This record gives sequence, structure tokens and C-alpha cells, in this order.
Amino acid sequence: MTTSIYQPEMARLVNVEQMTALEKLFTVELPGGHSLGHAPGQFVMVSLLGIGEAPISITSSPSRSNGHFELCVRRVGDVTNALHKMEAGEYIGIRGPFGHGFPIEKMRGKDVLFAPGGLGLAPLRSLINQVLDERGLFGRVIILYGAKRPSELLFRDELEEWVARDDVECFITVDRGDDTWEGHVGVITTLFPQVSVNPRNTVAVTCGPPIMYRFVLMELLGKGIPETQIYLSLERRMKCGVGKCGHCQINNLYCCQDGPVFTYAQIKGVEEAL
Amino acid sequence: MSLMILDKGAVAPLVNALMADYRVVGPQARGPKFVFDTITDPSQLRLDYNTTILPPKKVLQPPEERLATFVRGAKPQVETVIEAQPTVLLGVHTCDLHAIQLLDKAFSQEYPDAHYLQRREQTVIVSLECLEPCDEHSFCKSMGTLTADEGYDLHLTDLGASYAVDVATERGAELLSKYGTAREATAADIKRLNEVLSAKWPRFTYRLDFDAAELPALLSTAYDHPLWDELGERCLACGSCTNVCPTCYCFNVFDEVDMSLAEGERRRRWDSCQLDEFARVAGGENFRKARAARQRHRFMRKGKYLYERFGVLGCVGCGRCIRTCVAGISIVDGFNTIYGSA
Amino acid sequence: MATNEKPKVAFFDFASCEGCQLTVVDALQTHLDLLDAVEIVQFREAMTEKGEDYQIAFVEGSCTRKSDEERLHRIRKQAQIVVALGACAHTGGVNALKNLHPLEDVRRWVYGDKADWYETYPARPIDAVIEVDAFIPGCPIDREEFIRVVKALLLGKKPSIPDYPLCVECKLKENVCLFQVGKFCLGPITRAGCGAICPTYGDGCEGCRGLIPNPNENAMKDVLAEAGLTVEEIMARFTMFNTYPLQEAKR
Repeated sequence: MTTSIYQPEMARLVNVEQMTALEKLFTVELPGGHSLGHAPGQFVMVSLLGIGEAPISITSSPSRSNGHFELCVRRVGDVTNALHKMEAGEYIGIRGPFGHGFPIEKMRGKDVLFAPGGLGLAPLRSLINQVLDERGLFGRVIILYGAKRPSELLFRDELEEWVARDDVECFITVDRGDDTWEGHVGVITTLFPQVSVNPRNTVAVTCGPPIMYRFVLMELLGKGIPETQIYLSLERRMKCGVGKCGHCQINNLYCCQDGPVFTYAQIKGVEEAL
Repeated sequence: MSLMILDKGAVAPLVNALMADYRVVGPQARGPKFVFDTITDPSQLRLDYNTTILPPKKVLQPPEERLATFVRGAKPQVETVIEAQPTVLLGVHTCDLHAIQLLDKAFSQEYPDAHYLQRREQTVIVSLECLEPCDEHSFCKSMGTLTADEGYDLHLTDLGASYAVDVATERGAELLSKYGTAREATAADIKRLNEVLSAKWPRFTYRLDFDAAELPALLSTAYDHPLWDELGERCLACGSCTNVCPTCYCFNVFDEVDMSLAEGERRRRWDSCQLDEFARVAGGENFRKARAARQRHRFMRKGKYLYERFGVLGCVGCGRCIRTCVAGISIVDGFNTIYGSA
Repeated sequence: MATNEKPKVAFFDFASCEGCQLTVVDALQTHLDLLDAVEIVQFREAMTEKGEDYQIAFVEGSCTRKSDEERLHRIRKQAQIVVALGACAHTGGVNALKNLHPLEDVRRWVYGDKADWYETYPARPIDAVIEVDAFIPGCPIDREEFIRVVKALLLGKKPSIPDYPLCVECKLKENVCLFQVGKFCLGPITRAGCGAICPTYGDGCEGCRGLIPNPNENAMKDVLAEAGLTVEEIMARFTMFNTYPLQEAKR
């Protein structure tokens, strides 16, 4: 049979876990448990036959693969709604991994500041856990995470673990609190005054809803972090994942191939980027 | 490789012979216009056509095609389908030939697209030298596509009572010798060919006010040009300009199921960056919402982005987008406007 | 539909010619497997039984009387999914043409001296009265699209109809553009999905499937004027099927 770049591999859902009202965590196993071989920041095209295909970032770290990988998925469209109705033991199609992830080799030896907003934690978690698994190779690890409400915080167990660790500076905020919330309240930018950084030696990584970037970037640039050391993971519509279908173009860049991870220097002034 | 002479009277028998072993696609009349379509009778072939509604890319990247079939259920299965068959593509003008070379690059780089490439592999291209401009809209001379040195298997030039056939590939040579009756060109034929070829150039005019090689640099200064807003006001966002463009290859992918929901197909269909929903993500954000930004994207892609990616311009000057636009938007006028204000 | 039972389907009609239901009957002739997939419990056009236990309601016709609203609400209360069937239910269709005139005049024209016997109010699509889950546009509907919508519902997927204009389908079919042969067409701003059937047979699109999202109406008017239509002729074309949405957009 001819191989096609559009041919998905049928992969088994090993575990499905409700995380919030809108998000579920899917643990996926490829045929024979073979490795996905991804880098943090890459994505896969998830196929539900008869429904369609959608790009989903990989949330698990390659350092914790175990023959599985994880997808943290918000139900928002046809594919993700249908995926949310699926249970462990069922099969989904996978193509990938695609795209350029985070250049972890350029981050080693540096302080790393993560600034995910909302579902933006999903792609960053892959990198965070990889960094934590190689903790000795990095300087400070700072995580500033913001969500709209306490009930929308993702990966709460891991958040608690990061907060508890001595070698991680993790601050969490919600835009609006509730009865259960005793932590910080305010948008993500209100966390930035809590940390001071050595800008030359800091790499910043952010991902979140489009509206968030402008404000987070202002904070990061305000701290003097060079544009070439600020990494963003962008979301776009994708139909192929391999630089053909044209949907994900940001001016002359293909988000699926040239990204989804870009430095701010790459996309600064590119009107369609942010 | 070699130059042969094919009498015009020998074209119909050649087409007839080819039809036994190939799908033969060539220009034919549709109302007052022309289209590339499968030839079922040699008399349908109109090598005197000016231009077609859709470019011959439709043979290599069909408007809609099957990518896979699948079975749903507890143990879902998916199987790739490649829709390719031995094809002879007749009468391709040189502008479209240049465009096909760009498509070849787009579909073979990094992640090769087997669906396109297998069709391409199975398609023998017989191109045709243009001796007259197709109409007032084409600007091939400005874009350097009025002639072609490669990209074809056989290339025809009308010498009046016969065609000169430039045999460029083994495949072309075999096709001609197996199915046709051509003779080797004589010195007189070559002299006649050279006369015909040199006589054609003055009939075409330059319509771009500058050298096309300057386009990428020119456009890199034009991102905030007022032209885009003006075009955005006039543009209907109907997508016709990209659908008729020989170098546009964007597509959408979708699934269709049978009534039992047990089986289905994954298909792809041409898509257009000019359409309102092209860049909208499931969450609702539309990253290229304004018609002005979409028109800018088209101009940039044709004059700059594709050049940066593949080293060739994305516009071949065929004029189809101008001909098809009911709002009268002209890419060559647009390029000239930008040049005029630079 | 997560259950293994066949979903129960009912058809209803309001102000309409019932041509869309006839198209459904027609679709049933060519897609017999549809009857294996769903159970029809009420369909005045095709059967005498009237089951009131249904999950999917297809509603043809626009709402033209205050008293129609209650019936629509009843349907909404029973059905899990309500689908607007055809132009009248989707955009108000030709029924809304009357909204351009004083209603009193309209009643006199139609019913003469019996006008007082008949109730009327401005015609409207059904989603002006109740929440609608999916739309099948067109006058009449396209039978293949009807089938696609049913399949999407069976898959538990929100049925999507094309959000691009007719020109796309027309170009992909490689029709000769009607503007190039001296005719007029609303294809550039009208929602595709019909396979550009009218232009394919040489007639300009009249917009029965409603407008695309964010249509450039001004540019369309300029194009039609350039092609030789008077303002009155342009407005006649625009309002044929889209009086209600155009009036709403101005509100």
C-alpha cells in the first residue's frame, strides 16, 4: 500500500480523565506501544473517522513517555466534542508529531520563565516536565500560571507539586476567585511583579489565548528579556499539518511547519501573528 | 532531445490512438469559453483555444478527491486511496506549465504528497507555444512565462500546416513514436520554427510597469499600503480569483459517511484564503477577518511569499483572476499601483 | 444520538408551499436506507399517523401569525433537535416580502373583503421565535444536503452548511460565469450548498439559500449596477428571499 502523509495510525485511548468542565486528559498508545518520538511543543493531528481531524498539542513530556503520550483537549469543535464522548479502549487516528517545538538545547544553562494562560498550559507542560526531569541542567525555573477561575485550573496535582518544590518558583492566579480559592486573584500580568529576573540569562515561554499575548509580552519585554529569548506557541486552523493546505499561514510563515513555536523576534511586526 | 514535425491532419489519429491507453485531457469549448476536460472524441480538442476557466492544475489536483476510505466502529480502519490514472494532458500553455512546476515543488517539499505526485508521475504533458495573446488580461510576457524550457514531455509550436514537436523526454519520445506519425524536422522546418518563434514576441505587450524580479522586494515595503483597504471595499470574497489561479493549491479536508455511519471517505476540496472562514479556529478566533487582509495575503503570496519558499514567483501572468473577478480587481493593476507609489 | 434506538423524527409545516417536504419525500425514494436509520412518526405530506413522541423536528415554513408561535414552542419543548427546513423557515423566504408593505394593505390585497377574518403579522424565520439547532437552506432544499444534515445529526455532530458563496461551487464545476454572458447573479454573496444549480442551468442565483456570513452587499450592488440593473431591480433581487435578514441587519 502506498504511504500517504494523510494516513493516520490508529491509536488506543489508554485512559480518559475529566480535568475541568471543558477539558479532558487523554492518554494515547500507538500500535505496539511504539514511541511517538516528539519534542515538547510539537502537535499531532487527531482523527475521528467520520467526524474529521484537528491539531492538538502534546501535553506529556518525552522524558515521561512510557509508551504513551497525553493530550489535554478542550471540547470546542466537532472533533473535540466527539473525542470527549469517547472512553478508554476506543481508537483514534494520529498523524505526527508535526512542527517545530521548543528548542530545549538553547534553554539549557539558562533560567526559564513559563507564563501559560488557561489551556496554554497544555503545550507548555510538556516542556516544563522535561525541564524538571533534567532539573540540574537549568538555572531557575519560574512558572506563572493564570486561569479564569479556580475550577478551570489544569493539572492541579502537578501545580501543587510545583508550588511545593524548593527548586521551582511557581505562582498561580485566577481572574475571579470563589469560596474555595485562597490564592492570588488577578489577571496573569499581576504575577509578574512577584519575580525579578536576570533578563540576559532568562528564556521565557508563553502560550495562551490571543488576547493574553499582548499583555504578557509587555511584561516580558519590560523585564528586559531579549526578543530572541521569548518563545510563543501559536494556535491556527490546520487541515494537513504538513505545510500544504494553507489554513495556518501567518503571512509567509506556516504555523504547522515553521511553528507552532516561534520566537517573538520572528513574529514581531507580523500583523497576522498575534 | 529532438525536433519532430507532426502534420495537423495527424493530430486526430494521434489523439484517437492515445485514448485507447490513456485518459486524454485537453482544451475544449464550453459555451463561449474553454475548459480542460476529458476528450471522448478527437474533434473536441481545440488547440486554438485562448484560455480556460480553470487551469490544467485541475488534472493534477482535482477540485475534489478521495484521500482515504475508512471503517468506523470498535476497531476503526483507514486505508489510503490514491486517485491516479495514466493521463495525457494536451495543449498546456506555457504560463500554466510554469505554474505546474511550482505545484511540483509545493507538493514534493519536506512532506511529499503522494496523491498529487502519483498523478503527476502518471501524467504526460504535451504543451503548446502561444503565438498570440489570449486576450487583454494576460501578462505572461511581464512574468517571463511566455515561453518554457522545461516541464513538458512534448512541446508543440504551430507552423501553419503542421506542428513542430520539441521532444523533451524519453516518455514523450515513446508516446510520439508509439501513437503518432511524425517525421524528423528538416533544416527548412527549423528555419520556419525560428521565424515563427521570433515573430511572436512583438505581438505581446509588457503590462507590468517594472521588472517582475523586483516584485518580492517591492511587496516587502507594501504591507501597509492603502491599496488593500481599497480592494477590501470592492472584493466580494467569492474565492473565484484563487480557484482559477494555476498556482493556488490550498485545500480543505472533510469526512463523509454512508447512511449506516459504518463506513466513509476522507476527501479534500480546493479552499480559498479569500473566504471568510478560512483562518477561523474552532474556538471562534478568525485570524484573517478583513477582506482587505485577505486580498493582501493573495497579492503577497503571488508576488512574495511563494518566491521566498520556492524561488519562483507565484504569479504566472495567465490573467485568469482578472477575467473572473466580477468586481474588476486586477492583480497587474494592483502591482503597478504599488510600484507607482513606491 | 447515543442510544441504539432509531431516533424518532417528525415534520411540521407553517407558512410555506410544502415543496421542501416534497423534496424530502423525493429524497426518501433515492435514499431508502434513510428509513433504516430513523423512524418517522409524523409527516403530513407522506403518512396519516401523528406521533407526538419525537427527538428531531424538521420545521418547514415561516411564522406569519402570532398564533403560530405557540405551536412552535410546543415543538421546541418536545424535540431535542429542531431543524429549519428550507428558505421560509431559515430566512423567512418569500413570505417576508409582505413585510415591505403595510400589513393592512397586504391583507386587503390577498383576502379582499374577508380581510378581517384573517390574522397576520410580519413574516419571520422560525429562529426569530424559538431556538433552532440546524438550518437546511434553499427554495426548495437540496436533497443531498438534507441527507448530509441527517447523517451529521446521527453522528451526534452539529450539522454544518457551507459558509462560502455559490461562486465556489460554480467555479469548481467550471460553469461559464453569467456576468460574462450579460446575465445577473447573486452567487457572490449567497450561501453555497445547492451545487450552484441555477447558474449551472443558465439562470442567475436569486439568493434563496440566504447570504454568506459578512457579505459585501455594497460591492454586490455596485457590480449589479455596473452590469446594467437599476436600483429598483437590484433591490428586487436582494429582497426576493432575504427581506427579513436584510431588515434585521439594518435594525
